[in-house]
Amino acid sequence: MSGFGAALLNSLDIGLLLFVIAVGLNIVFGVLNVINFAHGALYMLGAYLAFTLMNLLGLSFIVALIVAPLAVAVIAVLIDRLVLRFIYERDVADSLLLTFALLLIINESVRMVWGAGIHTVQPPELLRGSIGIFGDTLYPVYSLFVIVVGLVLVAALWFIFNRTRAGKIMRAAALDRDMAEALCINTKLVVTGVFAFGAWLAALGGVVAAPMRAVDPGMGDKIIIESFIVVVIGGLGSFPGALAGAMVLGLIHGLGGRYLPEINLLLPFVGMALVLLFKPNGLMGKGANA
Amino acid sequence: MTTLNPKKLITSIAAATLLSAGALQVSADEHPIKLGAIYILSGSAATYGQFAQRGIDLAIDEINSSGGVLGRDLQLVIEDSQGKAAVATQAARKLVYQDQVDVLVGLDSSGVAQGLVPTIPELQKPLIITHAATPDVTGKLCNAFTFRISTNVAQNMNAAAQIAAESDANRWTTIGPDYAFGHQSWEFFGTALKEISPDVELMDDTAFPRFGAEDFTPFINGVMDSDAEGVLISLWGGDLVNFVRQATNLGFFEKDLELMFTVGAATEVLSALGDRMPEGVWLSTRYWYDGYVNEINTKFVKAYIDAYGNPPSYNAEGAYAAVYAYKQAIETTGNTDGPALAKTLKGMTFNAPNGSVTFRTGDHQAMVSPNWGRSGPMHPEHGIRTLEDLRIFDAEKVSRTIAETGCSL
Repeated sequence: MSGFGAALLNSLDIGLLLFVIAVGLNIVFGVLNVINFAHGALYMLGAYLAFTLMNLLGLSFIVALIVAPLAVAVIAVLIDRLVLRFIYERDVADSLLLTFALLLIINESVRMVWGAGIHTVQPPELLRGSIGIFGDTLYPVYSLFVIVVGLVLVAALWFIFNRTRAGKIMRAAALDRDMAEALCINTKLVVTGVFAFGAWLAALGGVVAAPMRAVDPGMGDKIIIESFIVVVIGGLGSFPGALAGAMVLGLIHGLGGRYLPEINLLLPFVGMALVLLFKPNGLMGKGANA
Repeated sequence: MTTLNPKKLITSIAAATLLSAGALQVSADEHPIKLGAIYILSGSAATYGQFAQRGIDLAIDEINSSGGVLGRDLQLVIEDSQGKAAVATQAARKLVYQDQVDVLVGLDSSGVAQGLVPTIPELQKPLIITHAATPDVTGKLCNAFTFRISTNVAQNMNAAAQIAAESDANRWTTIGPDYAFGHQSWEFFGTALKEISPDVELMDDTAFPRFGAEDFTPFINGVMDSDAEGVLISLWGGDLVNFVRQATNLGFFEKDLELMFTVGAATEVLSALGDRMPEGVWLSTRYWYDGYVNEINTKFVKAYIDAYGNPPSYNAEGAYAAVYAYKQAIETTGNTDGPALAKTLKGMTFNAPNGSVTFRTGDHQAMVSPNWGRSGPMHPEHGIRTLEDLRIFDAEKVSRTIAETGCSL
């Protein structure tokens, strides 16, 4: 039974980290109508910046947690102003191609700057080791920290979207950009801001992931596939969708890896196929028949 | 209609003259011998390709600065396999048909090797595999053009089984990547161990996480809750780095388990982990830089550290040795004809950093032994764990017989 509790907690930390990353992807799609293939690369940039700040410059984890995502958000503003703004009015497929190119460029740049090697970042002293929550089953302190960060973000994002003016503007711009503009909302600013915010979330995910996952040139590619699965399961463009999708995938990994290790490779795709069959727009997606 | 512009005509003639003079210049000391390499150069395992490339660069520099091969320079053309069989196959065709390379070297992944090797005979160029370990490519998929300079899974697991049999552990399970390498490692380990100690129990509860799974916690918990006494861990690269750190957090290494990492002493992984690699676990590698006392190894290790600042990995050594193997084969053959070179390589013995090595006639597998050792204290200069109680086995004893390989050449 204690093993089951640990597996559930583990599902929660996998799921919440996925949520932090996938929700950025989802918000960007909702407002910009851009499926950002480079989202995983921005996550990787966050992790590499954390590695640089902590291992090479000797700064603390807190500094990395604040500085790295902001730096990536600044890069995102540049990407938006220099490249993306030209394709907002075009078909989604064009944005897919363009952001795929961005992914390749960022991947290669990371390899040129930081090399091909595998790096590790140590969690801060306070969050190292593990504690016994379920009798003799140990659980890593850092994973609990990831859960806390995830829950705080869930609450904060819910609050922003539903209770603040910025959130309402974002939702308005997502629903009908022309109408929003007619109401004197500077949609250009909104669009750039949303893209930067999405990148900030991706990079935050990268910094949080760095102390428990290898920092290597392939980490962005791995996470983007997972994020797409989250989005397909949960529904594209919706905040509750990202949460639902991330939780489902977290459970698939956490419980599937623990109790059905023989078919763990298959499970995420079975989940995705089932959702596509019965809820083609995702669990929380706004369907054509909804 | 083209108008003949005298000025243009003169420039063209001048250019043509220069070009042909240049061509003459080249043919005077002959065009270089081209070596085509295919490694993983991007993504999580890019570090493996980088080590291999450095090994090749080092060998080529040494050879070219002492007169080349048959008076010709060696030149490297390298392609990224991305760890995918289809990409590697395309790369091999591009190298042979477009870049016109004379020989091929490479391959980091068993999956890539299984896909690419059957297409090598149509290219009519020899391929020396320096890393991919699936027994199949010197077994049921063997062919006249494919050779392997590094240890295969069968050799490594026969050695592992001997160590496992000497240990106190009687119930064994595995954690390995969910593709050819992980499954074949467990299969060969089990068979070999059962042969030595028939009473040992091979558990049904095994874990094969997806390659690149990132979070191994569920699998680690699974093993910790089981009654396993020994665990064979065939994760590698970033997976292994993630696994070790997450396992440390969960107290996995404090349990009384006999742990054997089948590619744990890859310097790529050891330098990423530093002192986070626990002490006292069994680590294997195809080649340990500190394991051989001979002139070639001393020179190689020193040159490598001088050039790149860290000790060579097995992948660097395999790639380095392959260049020298080709040098000897080309000099023996007297030319770079693909089929002729393949014939020379068959049964050829050459000197490498890990001693005198022979490509066995029956399956083209190099007769080499894996290096197994227990992780010891940190190396004062290299920033990685040292290996203690290093075990190097008799290659003949850990290799399959030709009949067992299923290869007929």
